[in-house]
Amino acid sequence: MVVDRRSLPLRLVVFRVLVTAIFLALAVCFWYLQVLKHATYREMAENNHQRTLALRAPRGMLFDRDGRPLVRNRYAFNISLVREQSRDVGQALSRLSRLLGVEEPALRDIVARYRREPSYRPIVLVQDASPAQLAAVTARRLELPEVIVEEVPTRQYPVKELGAHVFGYVGEVTEQQLARAALRDLSRGAIVGQAGLEQQYNALLMGQDGARRVVVNSAGREVETVGELPPAEGRRVRLTIDGDLQRAAEAAFASLGYRGAAIVLDPRSGEVLTLVSLPAYDPNDFVTGIDRATWARLNTDPLRPLQNRAIQGRYSPGSTFKLVVAVAALEEGVATPDFRVHCAGGATFYGRYFQCHLKGGHGTVDMRHAIEKSCNVYFYTLGNLVGVDRLHKWAQALGLAERTGIDLPHEVESIVPSTEWKRRRTGEKWYAGETISVAIGQGQLSVTPIALALTMSTIANGGTRHVPHLVSAVDEGRGWKAVPPPAPRSVIPMRPDHLRALHDGLWLVVNGAGTGGRARITGRDVAGKTGTAQVISIEGGKRAAGRTDRDLRDHGWFVFFAPAHAPELAGVVFAEHAEHGYLAAPIAKHVIETYFAKKEGRPLPAPPAPPAPPAAPATVVAAAAAGGGRAPGPPGPGEP
Amino acid sequence: MFERRLVSHLDWLLVAAVLALSAVGLAMIYSTTYDVIRGRVGPQFVTQGYALGLGLLAMVICLVVDYRQLAERSLLIYAALALTLVYVLVFGVVRGGSRRWIDLGPMNVQPSEFAKIGLALVLATFFSENRHGARQWRDLLVGALFLGVLAGLVAREPDLGTAVTLAVIFLGSAFAAGLPFRLLGVLALVGVLAAPVAWSFALKDYQRSRIQTFLDPGQDARGAGYQQIQARITVGSGGFAGKGYLQGTQGQYKFLPVAHNDFIYSVLAEELGFVGVLATLGLYLMVILRSLDAAKLAKDRLGAFLVVGLLSGFSFQVVYNIAMSAGLAPVKGLTLPLMSYGGSSIIATLASFGLILNVRMRRFTN
Repeated sequence: MVVDRRSLPLRLVVFRVLVTAIFLALAVCFWYLQVLKHATYREMAENNHQRTLALRAPRGMLFDRDGRPLVRNRYAFNISLVREQSRDVGQALSRLSRLLGVEEPALRDIVARYRREPSYRPIVLVQDASPAQLAAVTARRLELPEVIVEEVPTRQYPVKELGAHVFGYVGEVTEQQLARAALRDLSRGAIVGQAGLEQQYNALLMGQDGARRVVVNSAGREVETVGELPPAEGRRVRLTIDGDLQRAAEAAFASLGYRGAAIVLDPRSGEVLTLVSLPAYDPNDFVTGIDRATWARLNTDPLRPLQNRAIQGRYSPGSTFKLVVAVAALEEGVATPDFRVHCAGGATFYGRYFQCHLKGGHGTVDMRHAIEKSCNVYFYTLGNLVGVDRLHKWAQALGLAERTGIDLPHEVESIVPSTEWKRRRTGEKWYAGETISVAIGQGQLSVTPIALALTMSTIANGGTRHVPHLVSAVDEGRGWKAVPPPAPRSVIPMRPDHLRALHDGLWLVVNGAGTGGRARITGRDVAGKTGTAQVISIEGGKRAAGRTDRDLRDHGWFVFFAPAHAPELAGVVFAEHAEHGYLAAPIAKHVIETYFAKKEGRPLPAPPAPPAPPAAPATVVAAAAAGGGRAPGPPGPGEP
Repeated sequence: MFERRLVSHLDWLLVAAVLALSAVGLAMIYSTTYDVIRGRVGPQFVTQGYALGLGLLAMVICLVVDYRQLAERSLLIYAALALTLVYVLVFGVVRGGSRRWIDLGPMNVQPSEFAKIGLALVLATFFSENRHGARQWRDLLVGALFLGVLAGLVAREPDLGTAVTLAVIFLGSAFAAGLPFRLLGVLALVGVLAAPVAWSFALKDYQRSRIQTFLDPGQDARGAGYQQIQARITVGSGGFAGKGYLQGTQGQYKFLPVAHNDFIYSVLAEELGFVGVLATLGLYLMVILRSLDAAKLAKDRLGAFLVVGLLSGFSFQVVYNIAMSAGLAPVKGLTLPLMSYGGSSIIATLASFGLILNVRMRRFTN
């Protein structure tokens, strides 16, 4: 007992000291957390309850030259997943898979792709959700706290495939693109132009995304908005494209059952009124993220719908190249318009016999009639006199020998050979005999439709090589502001008498006994020239012999301008596997008719009637062979 | 039995401190349960208000009855509590995976809160009636038996936090009753040696993961480590002066779960800052030290042991909960006495202070 009495006060003191020491330690800990480390934890708390949500800026609208909208925006609803709010992502995905009718592995793939993003950032599972999907999700809002519906501006392209290759398409920025300087500031998931004008003018069209800073509770629900930076819409852009002509050209292709390309320029300015490449794709398929099946189909399609044939397809120019030969001969002083050559159905150069396409020969022809009849012997002779290097020089002056500089991405270079080109390419010297083939558009010539269209424009306007362009005005926010057209690449005035001879010859092709009769429009003085691009050369034919699945029929060209003596239109129609250029002429005719009808305020014409019977190409060939006299004076086989 | 002059011996300072802490607690419950979106007071605030009233009543009752008379009936009280705990295990209400409550219609009662008082009372009685206090193995074993029955029943619920608190009450009582320092050392040693064994055999998976998480909260930031990280953010973001009452983002936007219960002190630290923390820590320390005075002044060993036993449990819970609220201890469902939401907790705590005041008040009576 006595011991107890002495021991208790001591033990109480121990207790007292112990508790006081612990409380002091606690106070020190709170001092450390609340005073010393305050800044760190304050920031963490802010990150906890504040979120920055991106407000996507609508891209600038595209208008045609008359101010009618071509590409607009609509609002789409995305269904997104916020992983941070999810107790069990796997379970949520399997539920969503059932609700949305989307395969679960596909959803898992999407989430896996974004797994490194911060978990509060929404992952878009379904872009542009259908009303049924939206209803299914919104009805279960409380059971699926991790699922949100976002409203985003989305591109809307004109019905089906109109002008697809002009507009291009948009898509999520890729990792490689993010590495580039121009797009470095963008965040993952940003939508940028991936082809066509969308890509070319992405900086202009994209606008500036806004942001909204919101306070959220621990369930991720927004409680209030702290600040908002509204998105700035992209610039509205007015194109040089004429919607009516574009539509007319595509309708004519469709009606005649051809694929290919067509370009119509205003030869006075280089404005592109129409640019067609078919088959095309539907840019609307891309706006909300293209599905794999469609993407795979577009990529593996042997018809290559993703290729813009107008600027990326390279073909042999065939007889249309004779115009370059004529210009070179005239302007180099090698020949006058009255220079005559006798055609006996062929001629021998450098010990080799070169045929004309007309067995019996054209007799004696001057330049006008040589163009009209497309006489090979005449142009063999001219080409031989001019030589390949001067041909190259004039091809370049007209716009055929390099890139045209059109404001579309990935234009390829047209190739017109020269002695230097061959030396660089193969290390061999140029043989004069090769020039003979080149003179009628054969040999190592390979040109894009846009380059050929530009060549026609330069011939039409008398020597001014414009840069084809698609943008006429931009709305910087204070109304339309004209974009100055790019300066012409070169101006080499051609002599008026030379020009008249060329124009006369081309007029005769359409309005005389030439091959372009199908483009004739009474009173419109259409000038043009047909051409045939051989799909296989002789040696290529051997190579392709086993590959019967590929269409080996020749391509048809029709180049034109109108009216012949004061041209307002110049262009090219390229009909793939049409076998002959005159079959492409009706497309040009329809476009020209539409142009004048619109200009004069008349109702627009209906597209040309399809050839009868409108069946598979094989039948068309058979019909053409059977009724050979039906065509208006087409030359026999072998016409280049 | 009750004499008017006893009132003059009442420790009014202690009463004031206890009531001040309860009032702060009630205010923090208001803050943590306030519905920001609907602009409404949470139902817990009202419930706690009633419980506080009942608690004051219990305090007065425990003050009025002479603690020696209670000690005479300590075995009876102990047996009744043990039976109630058995009843809980069989018929109790399950919430959050634990069977801890008895449904009394308008209110659920958590008997384990009262078991703390019962244990302190029975141990104080036993050790004070024993000639050698708690100095001999045999007496310690008997005391441990008292502990074992209650702690075992509570641990079965499971409510490991309260079971540990009961063990602390036992240690506190025994310490006051003369538990040899040497034995204390041995017990500490055994504890350290037993830890790995307990780790492997005694702990459940979720308990193990809680301790693992405590040691490295980052490894499971969305799961078990979440509360600990959020607790630290909540406290740290409060700063020196705090974000202001009702202005804490962590508490108001519910980043901290059960903020009105286990983590009420985190929200206090967030909204009232380091200043508020110092003030409340001071109040708690004052309550403990003033109560220790009661033990020193106590007329008999019974009173002293009773005060130290009750105070051990109280101090342990305060220290553990406050440490946990700053992310300094593993997350454990231990309430902060006088502040956390919980009717049984506040009633039992106020009743204990009734007993402590009782001991001091009757220091001159026979």
